[in-house]
Amino acid sequence: MRAYQDMVFSTAARLAGNDAQAEDISQEVFVKAYEHFDHLRGSETAGGWLKTVATNLSLNYLSRYRKRWRLFSEELDLPEAALPDAAPGELAADQQHAAIEAALRRLPEHQRVPLVLYHFEDFTYEEIAAQLGASLAKIKTDIRRARAALLPLLKQMGLDSA
Amino acid sequence: MNSDLAEADRRMETVIDAALGELPLRPAPPGLEVRVLQELSRRAALPWWRHSFAGWPVSARVGFVLVCIMLIGLAFLGGLWALESLGSPALGLLSMPWARHVLALVNVAAELASLARIVPPTWVYQGLAASVVLYAALFGLGIAAYRTLYLDPNSQVILRS
Repeated sequence: MRAYQDMVFSTAARLAGNDAQAEDISQEVFVKAYEHFDHLRGSETAGGWLKTVATNLSLNYLSRYRKRWRLFSEELDLPEAALPDAAPGELAADQQHAAIEAALRRLPEHQRVPLVLYHFEDFTYEEIAAQLGASLAKIKTDIRRARAALLPLLKQMGLDSA
Repeated sequence: MNSDLAEADRRMETVIDAALGELPLRPAPPGLEVRVLQELSRRAALPWWRHSFAGWPVSARVGFVLVCIMLIGLAFLGGLWALESLGSPALGLLSMPWARHVLALVNVAAELASLARIVPPTWVYQGLAASVVLYAALFGLGIAAYRTLYLDPNSQVILRS
């Protein structure tokens, strides 16, 4: 479990956009893994299995609970993703990473989820559209807007020269 | 023009992909392992009949299926018996215990209906209005409690020096 817990938690946290819910999802993933322990023990695909389950449980969570609690949670105004006082180009790597993670969390769910699936989970546009039950055009638009929202931050950090 | 836009999109994708690709895994909370072990212990401590059907002992599963089949058979036979009793409806029905219970419920409903006719309509409207206000207050309280107590403030902490 220790070998995979960061990977499972990262997957859930980036998709759910909330650490407390990501912890709940991670717990459920490992409980499921325990139920399939005989199958997973010594398997080379255990990591892939855990990542898939984490992704699926996160998406299930989002479709099941987030809609139900929209009224309770979406009116919250999240503060702007602000950089530390240091000049953006001089930030330490961990500060840059934290700022990017924060900016990811700030994205609206309909942009963050396809962006995470595309860039972190290596889904294709078509797979994302099928998974989320949305049109291909909408998925492409949402991902483009999510990238456009992140780009200014990366430019501030001098990370736009890739 | 379109090729310029496509080129800009492609470049933006490359930049974002590189930046996100460099992000390290987020460390799991230190208590996650303990939470998982506690949840596994809690589930293991549950009696067998509170597990999913697939987790029941074979004998219990077989017994459950047999009982279900018996109940279906009894319901079928009961239906046939009730149909036969329709020849003398009033006598037949009243001889059945459940029919007497139904009759008692109908009598209670009739009493409640006559009571409702005595109560002034203003009382009814006031009662309904009070219920709506209380429901709205409870709903608002639930929203406030959820947003204050449940939503994790750490998830919205933005990096500041």
